[in-house]
Amino acid sequence: MSEIARLHHESVGDVEIVRVVGEVDASNGSMLTEELFGAVSNQARAVVLDLSNTTYIDSSGINLIFDVAAGVRSRRQQLRLVVVPRSFVAQVLSTVSIDESVPVDGVLADALEALQAR
Amino acid sequence: MTRDPSIQEESTSTEQAIARLEDVQRVTESALSYLNPDELLTELLERVVEILQVDTAAVLLVEDDGRTLAARAAKGLEEEVERGFRLPIGRGFAGRVAATRQPVVIEDLERSPIEVINPLLRERGIRSLLGVPLVVEGQLIGVLHVGSLIQREFRDSDAELLQLVGDRVALEIERSRLAVQDRIAQTLQRDLLPSRLPRLPGLRMAGRYIPAATESAIGGDWYDVIQLGHRRLGLAIGDVAGHGMPAATYMGQLRSALRAYALDVEAAGEVLRKLARFAEAEHSRMATLIYGTLNLDTWALEFARAGHPYPLLIRADGSASFLTDASGPPLGTGGAFSYESEVVTLEPGDTLLFYTDGLIERRGEQLSDGEAALVEAVADAPEDPELKCTSIISRLTKGIEVADDIAALLVQSVGLEERLSVEVPSAPRELAGIRHLLRRWVAANGGTDDDCAAVAIAVTEACANAIEHAFGPRDETIEITAELEADLVTITIRDRGAWREPRREHRGRGIPVMREFMDEVEIETGEDGTTVELRRRVGSSPQ
Repeated sequence: MSEIARLHHESVGDVEIVRVVGEVDASNGSMLTEELFGAVSNQARAVVLDLSNTTYIDSSGINLIFDVAAGVRSRRQQLRLVVVPRSFVAQVLSTVSIDESVPVDGVLADALEALQAR
Repeated sequence: MTRDPSIQEESTSTEQAIARLEDVQRVTESALSYLNPDELLTELLERVVEILQVDTAAVLLVEDDGRTLAARAAKGLEEEVERGFRLPIGRGFAGRVAATRQPVVIEDLERSPIEVINPLLRERGIRSLLGVPLVVEGQLIGVLHVGSLIQREFRDSDAELLQLVGDRVALEIERSRLAVQDRIAQTLQRDLLPSRLPRLPGLRMAGRYIPAATESAIGGDWYDVIQLGHRRLGLAIGDVAGHGMPAATYMGQLRSALRAYALDVEAAGEVLRKLARFAEAEHSRMATLIYGTLNLDTWALEFARAGHPYPLLIRADGSASFLTDASGPPLGTGGAFSYESEVVTLEPGDTLLFYTDGLIERRGEQLSDGEAALVEAVADAPEDPELKCTSIISRLTKGIEVADDIAALLVQSVGLEERLSVEVPSAPRELAGIRHLLRRWVAANGGTDDDCAAVAIAVTEACANAIEHAFGPRDETIEITAELEADLVTITIRDRGAWREPRREHRGRGIPVMREFMDEVEIETGEDGTTVELRRRVGSSPQ
């Protein structure tokens, strides 16, 4: 089975950035959620989930975001999403008005700015 | 005592010997050829005991290490085989025979000038021994020895007779060993070829392997189709020089190495470069090869060629041309390991034929004649890939005893038709492949990028639901049909699972997503499963 998505992980100060590169569907959604929690430190102040390089996402991806949001909340961490405006991913996420639950930025720099990451 | 010069020649016994030898030959030649090697040896030893009027006979064969003799068959000394008796060449009685490649006689075991290692010979009460080497085409393959319980003066004539018998035995052993090897090579070859080719919408394939007319010419030809994720397909054909076991095993190695590199490296030329380095490190025989990857989105085939015959491209209009731009040396010939690749895009109706030289090479003919004959055969062949393959091969091999094996792989692009119908396993890992297929189908039917993305997600959601509904030990499948009427696309996803309530609080988000991207979504749940119908107008009009 070929891997259809990979996580890339990096830190800027106490903000952790996780990029989802590839496709998210029912075959890998919950695996990616677990992998993501494993990758993010308890000590981080905030997490940025960057979906700029996510080429496909569906309701499994929506579930992933809600699961991550719940997990991050329970750790008292902040979460921001990066979604390219008017992209396919943006259209999918609009079906659940994701921006009412998680703050969304168009580019990574804006997310880091909002979190005052250093 | 070896070759005692005092032993007198006896002409009468030589005549007798020839008479007895005829006996041996009669037995060894035909009736025994059906026996397996071990049965054959046992049978031959019984004959030897009878003909030479001795009490024991044994065959020891040289092991693969070339330094050890191992008891393989015995008459009157059966324990020698049962105990797995082995001795190094050069030591002991049989070891001496093997080392000198001369007949060796021990007249009286009790006073033997030669060290006797095998305790069994004494346990059995053997007094006299005569041994001869088994040699085939200058190669020592073992030792045949006979023993007598009463002291006996083996004469030169006895040694000559035993040597003649030994020569027959050696030939029989070698013949049956080669026959076994050929059978193994044949099996190996068969097992290394794809048992069935993947079935992909828009693509039709056929593969053939024809062994050479003579059994021992089972060779190193192979073809392979490698699935590289959902969007690419690896295609390979190759020909290892030589025949029989060694060629077949090396072919197996190359095939595995190629598969490994293909999964790891995208560019066909780079895959061949790596394979050429592998071949160089193996110091093995020469091989020619074509490897290519077919992009299932664009239908572009990028291939590299290592000294292999040119692939033949047959366009939908029937025109045929050899693709000659890809270049590079055969594997195993040293050199720079540089492979220029060539790209050809397959349009619907185009056929690409890969083959090995056995298809076009004829003794005493120019290669260009063979190529011309191939083009001719292709022109008259039917459209269907399986029939086409059969027709081309039978026409080119008609009336010819095929001296070399032949492999052929035929790939035909048929385009995605207005109606698509597939059945896929009900498993999450299939989802990516399903949506790439639907994306291609929508694109092929005039859909925009947005249409492709919309259909892809709606179908993935519907299938993910179907997979979640599927339960039980049966191998569930999902049926997907896609149809186009004017600019309206209708996709039907049917499963045989029972509807279950969403398992978790936030399951069931799939349906709103389907509605977001489709003009119409209908879900019907019945006794025998669930059917989802998705509709969307496709084309230039913006959504």
